[in-house]
Amino acid sequence: MGKRKVGALEKVDADLANLQYKVRRDPASYRDDFQNQYNQYETFRELFLQNPGTTDSGGIVSLRDLIDFISHVASCYPDLTAKFPDDLIQIISLHHEVLESELRDKIVGSLVLLRNKDVIDSSKLLNTLFPILVSTPSKSLRALLFTKILSDLRSSNVKGTNHKLNRTIQTVLYNLLTSDRASPKGIWAVKITRELWKRQIWTDSKAVEIMKEASLADNEKVITGGVRFFLGGDKEREEMADDTDDDENVDIGKLRHQAEINKKTKKKGRELKRAADKVRKQEKKKNAPHPLNFSALHLLHDPQGFAESLFTKHCQNSKSKLALESKILVLQLVSRLVGLHKLTVISLYSYFLKYLTPRQASVTSFLACLAQATHNLVPPDVLEPLIQKIANEFVSEAAASEVAAAGLNAIREICVRQPLAMNDTLLQDLVMYRKSKDKGTMMAAKGLLSLYREVGAELLKKRDRGKDAAMGLRIGEMKERRFGEEQAGEIEGIELLEKLKEEERRKRREELGLPPDLGTDEEEEEDEIDNWKNWDVESDSSDDEDGWINVESDGEDINISDSDDDSKPVAKKPRLSSAPADGADGEKENSTTPSKSAEPEAKKISKLLTHHILTPADLKKLQELKVQSSVTSQLSSFKKRQALAAKHADEGVTSADIEAPAKLGKKMTREEKIAGAKGDKDEHHKSTTAIRKEKKASEGKSTTNKEKARKKNFLMTLGKAKGKQKRSLVDVRRTLKGHIERSKRGGKRGNAGM
Amino acid sequence: MGSSAKKKKEKKKDFQKAKLRVGKGKLKAANATDTSFKAKSIALKQQSLTANAPTVEALCAHHLALLNHKSDTQRRDSLAYLTTAITSNPPGIPLPQPSSVILPAVQRLILDGSSKVREQLLKLFQSLPKGDIASHTDQLLLHTRAGMTHLAGEIRVFALDVLEWLLGAAADEVVSCSGGWVKMLRCFLGLLGWQTEVSGKWSTPQSFVLPGKAGGDAKVQVKQMHALALFLRAGLVPSQSLAPVDGSGCTFPLWQTQHHLVSQRSNAYAHLNLFGAPRDEEAEMYEDREDRQRVFHDRAEPAIVVGLEQATKGGGEMGRAAAQLKKILKEGMMDYRGEDFAII
Repeated sequence: MGKRKVGALEKVDADLANLQYKVRRDPASYRDDFQNQYNQYETFRELFLQNPGTTDSGGIVSLRDLIDFISHVASCYPDLTAKFPDDLIQIISLHHEVLESELRDKIVGSLVLLRNKDVIDSSKLLNTLFPILVSTPSKSLRALLFTKILSDLRSSNVKGTNHKLNRTIQTVLYNLLTSDRASPKGIWAVKITRELWKRQIWTDSKAVEIMKEASLADNEKVITGGVRFFLGGDKEREEMADDTDDDENVDIGKLRHQAEINKKTKKKGRELKRAADKVRKQEKKKNAPHPLNFSALHLLHDPQGFAESLFTKHCQNSKSKLALESKILVLQLVSRLVGLHKLTVISLYSYFLKYLTPRQASVTSFLACLAQATHNLVPPDVLEPLIQKIANEFVSEAAASEVAAAGLNAIREICVRQPLAMNDTLLQDLVMYRKSKDKGTMMAAKGLLSLYREVGAELLKKRDRGKDAAMGLRIGEMKERRFGEEQAGEIEGIELLEKLKEEERRKRREELGLPPDLGTDEEEEEDEIDNWKNWDVESDSSDDEDGWINVESDGEDINISDSDDDSKPVAKKPRLSSAPADGADGEKENSTTPSKSAEPEAKKISKLLTHHILTPADLKKLQELKVQSSVTSQLSSFKKRQALAAKHADEGVTSADIEAPAKLGKKMTREEKIAGAKGDKDEHHKSTTAIRKEKKASEGKSTTNKEKARKKNFLMTLGKAKGKQKRSLVDVRRTLKGHIERSKRGGKRGNAGM
Repeated sequence: MGSSAKKKKEKKKDFQKAKLRVGKGKLKAANATDTSFKAKSIALKQQSLTANAPTVEALCAHHLALLNHKSDTQRRDSLAYLTTAITSNPPGIPLPQPSSVILPAVQRLILDGSSKVREQLLKLFQSLPKGDIASHTDQLLLHTRAGMTHLAGEIRVFALDVLEWLLGAAADEVVSCSGGWVKMLRCFLGLLGWQTEVSGKWSTPQSFVLPGKAGGDAKVQVKQMHALALFLRAGLVPSQSLAPVDGSGCTFPLWQTQHHLVSQRSNAYAHLNLFGAPRDEEAEMYEDREDRQRVFHDRAEPAIVVGLEQATKGGGEMGRAAAQLKKILKEGMMDYRGEDFAII
C-alpha cells in the first residue's frame, strides 16, 4: 500500500461538528465516515435500549451528540438513514417517561429538524408528538412539545392552508375529547385549538366543533376552557390581528437618508433592502381585503341543541359539581347563545329565579346573564315573575342604594329587549324611585322611565308620559308592538339616494330637451348600463393605471336587465305621470321627502331597491348623503338604545353594565377625583416652540447651525470663546444690526403695541 | 454645595479605622454574623460507632460506585483497587464482589476518554476469572463494537485489545451471540476500509477510513488484521475441544446424547428470542459453524479477499499479517466450498 494522502478528518479526533460541516459540503466523499458514525450510533442505540433510563454522559461522545449529528445530515444520505426517524420515534414514544431530560429534548428537536428538512411529513411528526404531549408527566416536556406542535402547524399553514393536515389534527383532537369526557387530557385539545384560532390558522367550523365538545365535557378545566373560548376567543383573535398590524413602523425615508450619509457597507445595504421589503409587504397588507372571519358563535352548527345541552348538563343537572365561577361562565355562554340566535330555552328563565337575591354571590353576573338571555321572542309571561322578583328583592327603600340601582338597571336591561314583560302597576311603582335621594337609584329609575316613554307610554301615568309620548299616543303614531311582531327592514337614507337619482335623471333629460318627468324604457336601461359601467368608485382610476383603454363597441350593449322590451316593468313607471312638467312641483311631489315622512301613514317604503341593484358606487354615495343630512343625529334616543342593544347582541352584557349606575351615587375619593380630572391629558406643559422642535426632531429633519452651537457642550466652547475685541467684522455687523432691530421692535420680546 | 461640618463628619465616619487596644479583644467586623447558639443537648445523627475498618466487600462496592466519578484519576484508582482486590483474593474463596456485579458496572469504561483509565480497565478484565465472562459476552461485545466504531482513534485501538481478551476468554460465545457475527464483520470491514457496497459506476476515492493517529497507520492496520484473524479463527475454524467430547460421550445404546440434552450454556434458549424485539439478519444469532460460514460467504468474503490482495501487495509487516489472515481464511472456508460444490 503506497503512501496515502492524509485526509483532513484524520487530524481531528472525535469532532462531530467538524464532520457535520464537511458532510454537508460534500456528502459523496464522506459517505464512509458517515457510515461509520451511523454504525456507532446503532451500537449506542442498542446499548441504550438495554437500559433506557441510564445516562451515557460519561463518554466523550454520547448518544445525544450522535443523534444530533445524524439528524443534521440525514437528508444527505436518505438511503442509509431510512430507518433513523422510525428509531427515534420508537425511542421517544416507548421510553419518554424514563429518558434523561436532555436526551429527550434532543430527540424531540431532531424529529422537528427532520420534519423541517422534509425527511418525515408533518402528520407523522404530529401523530408522534401529540400522544406524548397528552400522556407525559413531565411539565417541561409538555411545554416543549406544545410549542413544537404549534410551530409545526403554523409553518405548514404559512403558504396556504394545509387542509389535509388540519383535518387530521382536528379529528385527533375531536377524538381525544369525545373518547373520554371525564379525563383532563382534553385541555390540550382546547389549548391547541384556541391558539390556532387566535392566530387565524383555524377559522372553520370544525375547530368550533372541537370547542363545543370541550364545553360539553365532564372535566371542569376542559369545560371552562371551552366556554371561555366562546366568550373571549374572537376578541383575542381581533386583538392579535391588531397587534401584528402595527409592529414597528419603519421610516424608509430616514433609512435612505442615513444610507446616503453613513459609510456604505454590505450589511447596511442589506438592511435597507430588508426594510424596503417590509414596507412593501405592509403596504400590500394594508390594501389587502379584510379577511372575512366568522365568529365562533356564528359558526356553530346547532346553537339550539348546544345551548340546551349545555344548560341541562352543567346548570340544571343537580349532580354537576361545577364551582360557582365556572357555572356563571357556562350560564354566560348559554344566555349569550340564546340572545344572539334568539333561541327558546324556557327552563332557563325559571332557573334564574333561585339566584335573584341580593345576598347571592356575584349576583350582578346573574342579572347580566338574565338580561342577555332576553330577546323579543321570549314569552312575556315567563319574564314577568322574574322582574317581579327583582323588584321585590332589590328595589325597596330598605335595600342599600347600590342594590336598588343594580336592580332597577337590570330591569331596564331586560325591558329594552322585551318591553312586554312589564305591567303598569309595577312600572309606576318603579318609576317613583326617580325621586330617590341616591343618585344611582334616581338615574336608573329615570332610565326606565325614558325607555317606557318610547316603547310603552300607556303603561305610565299620564303625567309621566312627557310631551312627545302623550302627543304620539293621541295621534296614534305610537302603537304598542305586539308579541312577535318585527319591524320591516329598510336601508337608512335610501330615500335620499332615490331623490338624488331622480334629480340627475331630470337634469339629463332637460339637457336633451325632453320633458323631464316622462322617461322611456330605453333611457332607463341606459341609466342602468351607465351604473354597471362605473360599478366601483375606484375602478375608474385603476383602469387608467393599467394603461388599458376601454373601447366601447357601438350598438352591442349587453342587456343586463332580464325584462323583455315590450313588457313594461311596473316599478319603472315614472311616478305621478299626470303632473305638469314643472321643476318645483316635481320636487314637491317626490314622495319621500323628509317633511312628508313625518306622517307615519304617508311614509312609503322606497321602491328603488325593487328595480335597482345598488353598486358600490351607489353605496358610497348613500353614505355621503347620510352624513350630509345627518340622519344619524335625528335618531331618537330609543333608536340609539336599540343600536346599543344590537351591540349587546354581539358583545354581551357584563356585570359591569349592571353595576354602572350604582357607582354614580358613590362619593369619589380625592385621588380618584384628581385622576379623573387629569384624564389622559399630558402632564407637563410644553411651549409651542418646544413642541415644534420635538416634531422636527422626530421627523428626522436637520437643525440649524445656531441650534447646534447652542447644544454644544459648554466645556468644548470655552477654548473658542472670544472677547469683544476679537470678533470678526461679520459678527460685529450682526450684533449691531441686532441692536437696531431690537430697538425698532421695542425690546427683545417685540412689543407689538408700541 | 456648601456642606456643613456635621455632614462632613458623617461622611468621614464611614472610613474611620477602629483603633486596636492592648488587652482588648479584636474588634468584630461590621458585617460579622453571630453564629453561636444555645441548646440543651447535642446529638450527632450520623455518628459511626463501629470500631473496626469496613470490609473488603463494602470497599469494593464503594469503589464500584466511584467509577462514575468525574475525575480521571479517581476512576483509575478505583479500577486499580478493584484489580488488586481480585488478584489478591485467594483461590477457592469467592470474589469480594461477584463478576456479575463488577462487569456491568465496569464495561461502560471501554469508551472512557482517558487512556490511563482504559489501560487499568484492561488489567481488571484480565484479572477476572475466565469462566465468569461467558454469560456477559453480549453486553461486553456491544460496548466493544461501540468502541471499535468510535470517532476517537485511541478508543478504536483499545477496543481491539478488549476484543482480543474477550476472544481469549470466551471465543465461542463471542461469535455465536446475538449480532456477534455479522455486525462484528461489518465493523471490521468499516475499520479496515474494505467496504463492500460501491455505489454506482463512479470510482470512489480512497476513503478516509478511520485510522488511528496519522503516522501509526500501518501499525494500527496490522493490529486490526490480527484481531480480525483471531475473530475469524474463532468463528470459522472448527474448535478442537469439541471433537474429544464427541468421541467420549458414547454410552452404548444412546448416541450423541449431548445434542439432545439442554445446552450447558447460560440462557440456552436465547436464540429463540422469546422476549426481545424481533431481530433481522444482522442481529440474528449464528450458533453453527456452517451458518457462520454461509453468512460470511454471502456478506464479507469478497470484500475481505479484495482487501487482502491489496494488503499483500503492500508487503512488509502488513503483508505478513495479511498472509496469516489469508491462511486462516483458507482453513476456515475450506470445507464450505466443498459443500457448496457438492450441492451444486
